[in-house]
Amino acid sequence: MENLKYSEILQQNKILKEKIKGEPFKVSILSNITVNSFKEIAEYSLRLNGINPVVGIGNFDNIVQDSANCRDAKMVIIFYDTLNVVDSIAVFFDEMDDAAIQQVEQKIYTEIDMIFQNLAGIQTVIFNKFSSLLFPSRFVQSTKLDQFVGNLNAYLEKKAPRNVSLGDINKVIARLGARQSFDGRFYNSSKAPYTLSFFKEYISVIEPVIFRITGKLKKAIIFDCDNTLWKGIIGEDGMTKIDMSPASAHGKAFFEVQRIAKYLSKKGVIIGICSKNNPDDVEEVIVNHPDMLLKNEDIVIKKINWTDKITNLRDIARELNIGIDSLIFIDDSSFEINLIKEQLPEIVTLQVPTATYEYPAAVQNYIYKYLDLNSSEEDKKRTAAYKQEFQRQDESAKFQTLDAYLASLEIQLDIIKDDESQIPRISQLTQKTNQFNLTTIRYTESEVEKFMKGNNSYVFSATVRDKFGDSGLTVVCIVTENEPSSATIDTLLMSCRVIGRNIEIFFVNHIINFLKEKGYDTVYSKYIPTAKNPQVESFYEKMGFRVNKTENGIKYYSLETEDYQEQKIDYIKGVAVQYN
Amino acid sequence: MESVQPKIYQLMSTVFEIPVEEISEESSLDSIESWDSIRHLNLILAIEEEFGITIPDEEVGNLINYKLIELIINEQLGKH
Repeated sequence: MENLKYSEILQQNKILKEKIKGEPFKVSILSNITVNSFKEIAEYSLRLNGINPVVGIGNFDNIVQDSANCRDAKMVIIFYDTLNVVDSIAVFFDEMDDAAIQQVEQKIYTEIDMIFQNLAGIQTVIFNKFSSLLFPSRFVQSTKLDQFVGNLNAYLEKKAPRNVSLGDINKVIARLGARQSFDGRFYNSSKAPYTLSFFKEYISVIEPVIFRITGKLKKAIIFDCDNTLWKGIIGEDGMTKIDMSPASAHGKAFFEVQRIAKYLSKKGVIIGICSKNNPDDVEEVIVNHPDMLLKNEDIVIKKINWTDKITNLRDIARELNIGIDSLIFIDDSSFEINLIKEQLPEIVTLQVPTATYEYPAAVQNYIYKYLDLNSSEEDKKRTAAYKQEFQRQDESAKFQTLDAYLASLEIQLDIIKDDESQIPRISQLTQKTNQFNLTTIRYTESEVEKFMKGNNSYVFSATVRDKFGDSGLTVVCIVTENEPSSATIDTLLMSCRVIGRNIEIFFVNHIINFLKEKGYDTVYSKYIPTAKNPQVESFYEKMGFRVNKTENGIKYYSLETEDYQEQKIDYIKGVAVQYN
Repeated sequence: MESVQPKIYQLMSTVFEIPVEEISEESSLDSIESWDSIRHLNLILAIEEEFGITIPDEEVGNLINYKLIELIINEQLGKH
């Protein structure tokens, strides 16, 4: 963005406008100065992030009035600029007497109150704080204007409601320098004080706010290993030569980045590894290197192999059950970074700077931009779910047998039949679940609905809870009737989040018992192999089904309900079964 | 010196949102309908960025046709 010329932005914008569709994201900009060149820059930046923007600029110097007329905006940005405030009241601010200044302050306070009130229904408002940075100043003593600005900002801080974020415009000016931010020519001719550089910087600092309300925040950071988590190459340099020591000039940056990553993992950000290496080499570093801060308990997912990183990153997203656009990928190799930029442009990438001392700050900037560590309720819940997963793993160390561990989790299943409120989730699971999925048949919502409403078919689903939290609806089974005495299990799947707890056995027990009570003597089922589901290729055998034939790799089974031997899973407790 | 004309045509076309074929040496504030004060400002900014020059304050308001724009750009480029 910073590297694009304005004319290029205008051109790119035209092209992107045709590509980026979807729900319009309406932004209203209210100001007492001219900010028209911001419109194209803001629209361009939003489109780059896959958001379809409608940016409207209010009438010049009409903030209060306009604030009453932008109810349908998702976001409102307010440039109530000190330059024009001062312009309208004084040539030389120090000339003004205190009483006059106070009067102006009171007037602005009233306006601020009205603006906040008018914008109460807007989801997100960014109100730029007042600034005296573009005015002549003294070094050792504040000016009257500094005090005036200080008072206005104190009022903003005091009164800003929850939906209003105060933007610190001084930080934007500090990054660019006043000379690059302000253009006196256009201020005098058109009341347009800010340069294109200023607006490019400005949009980049408010992007995190936009990402938050549009759900574009990232959830996971995936690191390469060599020259990314440590200095050096483990496969060549070996344990003693790689460096991530806080005491060494080259290692320090890597130590700091690991420290940050460790903190993020505690805050619920998913930390992962995607590296071309021998898994044993990396494992050796993680477990035994004295300077290695990131340990296995901090790392949620690892892809250490010689497969290309596109495949690995796709797998990571799928296995974590998050969008590919929720990933940040960090690697030192320009080859890998460019490959991902080209093939998976949805992934935000960071190449480790060649000047490694810049590396920790670069990571921090990404954190501020793409993550929200003070997350919303929804996010907190999700973070909690991942944390629970950690706790479950921790707990597993305490118990000698898996059964004892599973019993300690106090797992509870709520099985429901034909729950129409869950149609979207069930359809989604049929489409996304790959590993524990016996037939991998994908169903649309209307198809699921048909199964539910049909007299001769049943859709069972289960939500899973344990003492650490709620995993939600994660198990699905669809059964269809063949003739009054027999039925077929069309679909049986379970989200990878709840694999490994014998929930499937418990679930199938219930279904077979249900079918038996309904008078079905025979239950048919099948296993259709895919690249992802070998772990369930013998599932029905384990459940006591008989293989009748195998054709093209597909196994066809049957079970006489009369003969069904239920495997008791005692540690799954307090099941509440609701059949609508 | 390389002619600045193609670049200026391109910029005018982008800023005023008209096909580049419609721009000529005779183009001016009067012949291009979309040439309003906001776009004028955008044009100046785009020109400055494109050529790496700063157009003096007193000239900003004067650049109301193609020939004047070309003149001032060459004048500023010549200073370097």
